Amino acid sequence: MKIHVYATLKDYFSSEFELETIAHNTDALKRDLVQLNDQAEQLLNSCRFAVEEGFIDNDYKLKENDTVIIIPPASGG
Amino acid sequence: MIRSSSSLPPAEANLSPLEGNEVISAAPLDIVELLRRGHHPAAGAVVLFSGEVRDHNKGRAVAYLEYEAYHPLAVKMIHAILAEARAKWSLQLAIAQHRVGRLAIGESAVVVITASPHRREAFEANRHIIDRIKHEVPIWKCEYFTDGAHQWGNNCNCHATTGDAAKHIYE
Repeated sequence: MKIHVYATLKDYFSSEFELETIAHNTDALKRDLVQLNDQAEQLLNSCRFAVEEGFIDNDYKLKENDTVIIIPPASGG
Repeated sequence: MIRSSSSLPPAEANLSPLEGNEVISAAPLDIVELLRRGHHPAAGAVVLFSGEVRDHNKGRAVAYLEYEAYHPLAVKMIHAILAEARAKWSLQLAIAQHRVGRLAIGESAVVVITASPHRREAFEANRHIIDRIKHEVPIWKCEYFTDGAHQWGNNCNCHATTGDAAKHIYE
């Protein structure tokens, strides 16, 4: 699975990386990411997840070749 | 084009609103040009909000800011927020543009313009649009302080109360 992260998440992960995972929903993916860096747990709980088509929730079935975008709370304006 | 001697742009209706990716700009925002597009013959009230880079935050001196966006979603969401506001307040016009990249103190990071027959709707809609952009649209600010440190913004903390990163609280 390809993972793209933005903003403050880049303090915890590379901005784009390939993740070996069998995660089939965002909760499972979150657990895998916490395994990679447990410092990011609280932040990940405040993030939204998206694929190219738009935001996804935990009901979305993740596929191995998905590109998942992880979106921290907004701070524009 | 007739040049006005005033510093205010002349009213010129019916210029096209910002389309597609234009709502996010790597170049400095041209507030005068945006306001030029904000006039409409049926609108007696035009409200322009400019969010600008200030030189301090929470007691620390700020040197400059950098903004980053996830463009595909941010562009779609800004257009959707503007369309909803146009419908809800029956606006003649709603325009927004957000800057990305490195911004100096005093530069405009975001501009929102609303136009309606009377001022109440233009003010209310403008406030609503800027609040939603700040809470929902995937754009992030990183503050660079004069002491060399930097910090990513954490404006939207609604999830701490709502327990859901997709649910926001508005006044």
